[in-house]
Amino acid sequence: MRRRFRPHILVFLAPAVLIYTLVMILPLIGTLNLSLFNRVEGAESFVGLGNFRTLFGDPRWSASFWNALGNNTWFFLIHMLVQNPIGIALAALLSTPGRRFASAYRTAIFVPTILSFVIVGFAWKLILSPIWGIAPTMLASVGLKSLFAPWLGQEASALTTLALISVWQFVGIPMMLIYAALLSIPEELIEAAELDGITGFAQFRKIKLPLILPAVGIVSILTFVGNFNAFDLIYVTQGALAGPNFATDILGTFLYRTFFGFQLQLGDPHMGATIASVMFLIILGGVCLYLFGVQTRLRRYQF
Amino acid sequence: MGSLTLRGISKSFGATEVLRDIDLEVHDGGFTVFVGPSGCGKSTLLRIVAGLEEPSAGDVLIEGERVNDRAPADREIAMVFQSYALYPHLTVRDNMALGLRQARTPKATIEARVAEAARMLSLEPLLGRRPAELSGGQRQRVAIGRAVVRTPKLFLFDEPLSNLDAALRVNTRVEIARLRRELRATMIYVTHDQTEAMTLADQIVVLNAGRIEQIGAPMELYRDPANIFVAGFIGSPRMNFLDGARLGLQAATLGIRPEHLRLDRVAGEFEGRVSHVEHLGGETNIFVQAGAHGLLTARRFDEESFALDERVWLTPDPARRLLFDAEGRRLR
Ligand SMILES: Nc1ncnc2c1ncn2[C@@H]1O[C@H](COP(=O)(O)OP(=O)(O)O)[C@@H](O)[C@H]1O
Ligand SMILES: [Mg+2]
Repeated sequence: MRRRFRPHILVFLAPAVLIYTLVMILPLIGTLNLSLFNRVEGAESFVGLGNFRTLFGDPRWSASFWNALGNNTWFFLIHMLVQNPIGIALAALLSTPGRRFASAYRTAIFVPTILSFVIVGFAWKLILSPIWGIAPTMLASVGLKSLFAPWLGQEASALTTLALISVWQFVGIPMMLIYAALLSIPEELIEAAELDGITGFAQFRKIKLPLILPAVGIVSILTFVGNFNAFDLIYVTQGALAGPNFATDILGTFLYRTFFGFQLQLGDPHMGATIASVMFLIILGGVCLYLFGVQTRLRRYQF
Repeated sequence: MGSLTLRGISKSFGATEVLRDIDLEVHDGGFTVFVGPSGCGKSTLLRIVAGLEEPSAGDVLIEGERVNDRAPADREIAMVFQSYALYPHLTVRDNMALGLRQARTPKATIEARVAEAARMLSLEPLLGRRPAELSGGQRQRVAIGRAVVRTPKLFLFDEPLSNLDAALRVNTRVEIARLRRELRATMIYVTHDQTEAMTLADQIVVLNAGRIEQIGAPMELYRDPANIFVAGFIGSPRMNFLDGARLGLQAATLGIRPEHLRLDRVAGEFEGRVSHVEHLGGETNIFVQAGAHGLLTARRFDEESFALDERVWLTPDPARRLLFDAEGRRLR
């Protein structure tokens, strides 16, 4: 049976649709549109997919692009392998009853999340500086000075170091989301498990983890979207050149340099829009993969 | 199976005292029901037996052994929760088997026990389903099945029927009674419903505000309550309480059950007017406004009908009346 169309629904939907269209959909269409044009002999002209051909075909463009994409993927993997497991572990620890100072820990771990990137990036730069940073001094004071290296300055370690700084800053978010999911598991269910002799880590693995999988899925997709849109931390600590030698260049910084120009490089809105469109497609693809490939298989439980 | 002894159990949450000095003996194979109004501490007492809550004072003994310091899983008990508390991500079979697997029970034993429990509770067609695909009554049976497969010394039930509708409640009640005979297990059952208590128990423990008011067999509590609270709590409709002074008695209160309050059109001890009539088929409850004595209930097992506002006479059966002193204690 079909419901009769009710016009007032449109009225209720209008504000959200209008605002969302203005600030999200129109700019997105504008960007996609911009990527199809270029300045040829001083005049704007439609070039179709020409800009994309340049991005993937031109050796210098494509080298930069694949470098940024590779770095971005590594950045994302570190978050998935370090940030989210730690976040889940912290949430599991904090949600076990009778843990003292739990709320103090929870707050302390969450605080970096609300700090500005500028503060976080700058603070870590100061901490890790080989010249006046406190990291070398602290390592020296426990006799481990030999372990110190200018991590942010070396091509091999700079990206990983930045990713770990980002993990430090944002581990509070998966922790909070998982914590909330763990709290929604009814107490009687956990008590039933206790009576069944399923305690400690086995209880986490066999009862709690399966029940919070939907939240873990959400955390993963948020991490994915956040990481492939990341820009600020790299920009603050390493500048738009994402040094050393582009070792920390991710899609966000690559887009920024291209769009606005930096030092000797001139800004090119058309190529910038092209990169932005590719980023959009990557994220769209990832999210679709999650929504249709993963989320439909995750069960949500009514308690 | 198992016996249970509670010695001087007290429990406080912070400054609030929830249980005070509980002593109790549950015999091997007995069916004991904790009954009392909501919030009187029944669940807390059961959870102390289960080891989910630590007593502030006192000892819990199972088969004569002190188990205060044993984890819930090591007390050889099983508990059925009011909310069923099934594992929502596991099938019925796995719900029942998980605890046994965790205890590294041999596979063949697990299978045999799950099959036996499924047969006993007619769960066979449901073994592959998840809890979300079951009705309330089926979930309840799975929860009981999960308790049965553990072959515990002691079964604990916390208001297992309160989420079921009336018809299902009667069925499941009968089923629990049958199960108990079949398993010959010791069971402790918590309810606030006195019908459940009366029909299932061989020993009822009436709790009120964290204290035991009386322990006894169902009919003993009905016939011979120790105080006003038990007299009023057991039996439905509730016992009538009349002011003793007004009837010229030494006692502060006279208690008389509706079925022992004779209703007559012609003569009786005091008069009143019919204010409401409930026809239940086999029996009729007649509510009578009896002046200074207040609203009284009489119960008749015939089909005599009374009109609203009709003048009637009431007489408490002298052999069945109960007298209480000013503190509510029974005068014998
Ligand atoms: N964890 C707790 N913390 C504080 N008070 C509690 C706790 N559990 C129960 N209580 C209190 O103890 C009293 C008895 O509760 P309970 O045993 O659940 O009663 P019931 O007889 O209805 O099962 C109630 O007043 C309740 O508020
Ligand atoms: Mg209760």
